[in-house]
Amino acid sequence: MMPKHPNRREIIFGAAVAAVATRSRAASTIRLGLTPVFLDHDAEVITALRDALSTGVGGPIELVQRRTYQEVTGLLLEGGVDAAWLCGYPFLQHEASLSLLGAPVWRGRPLYRSYLIAAADDPAQELADLAGGAHAFSDPDSNSGWLVTASDLARMGLRPDAFFGRTLFAWGHRNVVRAVASGLTRSGSVDGYVWEALAASEPTLTAKTRVVARSEWLGFPPFVARRDRGADPDLSAFRAALLGLHASAAGRAALALLHLDRVSPGRRADFDGIAGRMADVAGLR
Amino acid sequence: MRRLPIGARAALAAAAMTATVGLLASWLVLAALAETQRDRLAELVRLHVDGLSIALGPAVQRRDVWEVYDTLDRAAAAGAGRLALTVVADDGGRVLAASDPRRAPTDSLLSALAEGARPIDAMGDPGATARLRVLARLSHQGRRVGDILTELDVADLLAERRRVTLALLVGNAAATAALTLAGYLVVRRALRPLDALAQRMGGTEGAPTPITPDEIPRGGAEIARLFRTYNGMVAAIAAKADAERRLAERERFVSLGRLASSLAHEINNPLGGLLAAADTLQAYPDRPEVVRRSAGLIERGLSRLRDVAQAALDQHRFADDAAPMTPDDVEDLRLLIGPETIRLGQRLDWEIDVDPAALARWPATRLRQIALNLLLNASAAAGRGGLVGMALETEPDGLRLAVRDDGPGLDAAALVRLTSAEPPPPGGGLGLRLVRELALGLGGRVDVAREDGRTTIALTFPHQRVEAAA
Repeated sequence: MMPKHPNRREIIFGAAVAAVATRSRAASTIRLGLTPVFLDHDAEVITALRDALSTGVGGPIELVQRRTYQEVTGLLLEGGVDAAWLCGYPFLQHEASLSLLGAPVWRGRPLYRSYLIAAADDPAQELADLAGGAHAFSDPDSNSGWLVTASDLARMGLRPDAFFGRTLFAWGHRNVVRAVASGLTRSGSVDGYVWEALAASEPTLTAKTRVVARSEWLGFPPFVARRDRGADPDLSAFRAALLGLHASAAGRAALALLHLDRVSPGRRADFDGIAGRMADVAGLR
Repeated sequence: MRRLPIGARAALAAAAMTATVGLLASWLVLAALAETQRDRLAELVRLHVDGLSIALGPAVQRRDVWEVYDTLDRAAAAGAGRLALTVVADDGGRVLAASDPRRAPTDSLLSALAEGARPIDAMGDPGATARLRVLARLSHQGRRVGDILTELDVADLLAERRRVTLALLVGNAAATAALTLAGYLVVRRALRPLDALAQRMGGTEGAPTPITPDEIPRGGAEIARLFRTYNGMVAAIAAKADAERRLAERERFVSLGRLASSLAHEINNPLGGLLAAADTLQAYPDRPEVVRRSAGLIERGLSRLRDVAQAALDQHRFADDAAPMTPDDVEDLRLLIGPETIRLGQRLDWEIDVDPAALARWPATRLRQIALNLLLNASAAAGRGGLVGMALETEPDGLRLAVRDDGPGLDAAALVRLTSAEPPPPGGGLGLRLVRELALGLGGRVDVAREDGRTTIALTFPHQRVEAAA
């Protein structure tokens, strides 16, 4: 989906980075770290994204998938990957070492929300109604899949493992939906963007769940790289390819599969909400 | 059962045998099917448990609920619909995760679900229930870390059994019906000669008739032998009847023959003297004393002849009439006429209503001769399939003997012989005239009546004759 009203500056900027990308050539393979923030079960999405980015940078792109944010963050920090599509939460955790490459635009804004979900027939109206039940988190380093619910509880003076009867990590937003849909857990914390995408691609799965509460709009999981490699031409080419994805047919196809509009340069201010929640749970960790 | 024809009985026996064999075979098939299904299920569960043990061992040891569920869920999605539910519990008996968490919530007790569950090696029979529960150890690195409860959906196996059972039932029923019909037809075909035999034995008023050679089956040796034996019996019966008939004929003429021979003998004796006297007369017709002497001789000879005839008649009468009539004599008559009526397929009506004491007043020989003559005549007149009847009864004015037949009736010559004193016309038998003579000799009366196509010859013997005879 294209943004409805892109302003003039964005259009000019996008065209410019696209022009840069097509002119430049990456010297070596660029490795991009991914986590289950994606629809990780869909190989088609992965392939389309890799092909579009390869075309954009004019060189090979290697997508490196890891199960947890912690693993991908670790890889990024130690140089195992050149860039990563991370959650805003680990990005902020390591903000001193990481810089923003771009922020995906979903439904017109580089923002998303966390959903608190329960079974479709569950009578819960808010988080407090879910006390004592089992709860599925996505990842301990996920904003939407942990931080939002944990900080909501922290604001009530509660810890997740005390509030819920049992908590588990399902290592992926889709898995959280599966856990709640199957009844393994009563509730779950899930990326609203992923839940909506699943509602389109697997409606029978999401139909077994119901959104109990939605968080405020928060910064969409961004593409990040190590701050000390800011001048790396490969990364510049990669950034340009990201920001120019919507300019090519392959890029648009990949974005369509991802249910995204485009990738924007991103703003640090969009992650202030996450930073606030991090402060709320600081005492808990 | 005994009332059923032999064909139906044989068919039912074949049906019972077929059904028994079919049921036995069906039972064996179903038992083998159950065994196969049990083995298949045990193998499936063993593979399932073994696979899960390898995949889940570490996760169960860590009590990683999501990992266990994720594995079970993916295994369930990959597996066929056979595995209805798989529950994994830790070594404390608490559920970690199940393929359907709603049925087996995390942290619930496995024992609540394990009711009726058995080890793989002691798995129940799928025929008993649509769901089977199997409990197995979950081992990791040689140590038990938990349990796996598997619920198998065996509804399809039950359906398969029902299908097989139905197919066997239908097949057996069809086979039984077919064999029953075939058995009935075969036995009926085999018994057809016996039907023919029975008809021949009792077809015409109890007189058996022989089976023609082209009716004797070529294939069945037993039947052919039976038919030949039967034909032999029929021939023997016919020969016996013929002999009896000839015996009756002989009895009919025996007195007449005896009388004739003794008369011939007595007549022959004076005949020589009479012929000599006749010669003398012819030689000396002109000598009066010779003529007188010869005439005297002839007269004495003829007187002698008359005496002889009278004496012969008297002697014969007395000798034969010495015995009184008895019910046995009446029965003899029936035995004597019986073979003839059977030979001709005639119906014999026999009405005897007479007191033995009254019957004893009459001489047996003459009455027998009269009755036998009339019966043989009646039988001859009635022809094949006709009616012959005899009635003997005591009436106020004497004894009445009536013989009737449904033949064409007496012709004029026969009537003359029976009812008048006129010399009988040439030809024809002497039987009716003898009857008349014998009856008149007993003081009897002869009446002939023709009514409704039946001829009745009735003889009435008055009582006073009894006193005279006594």
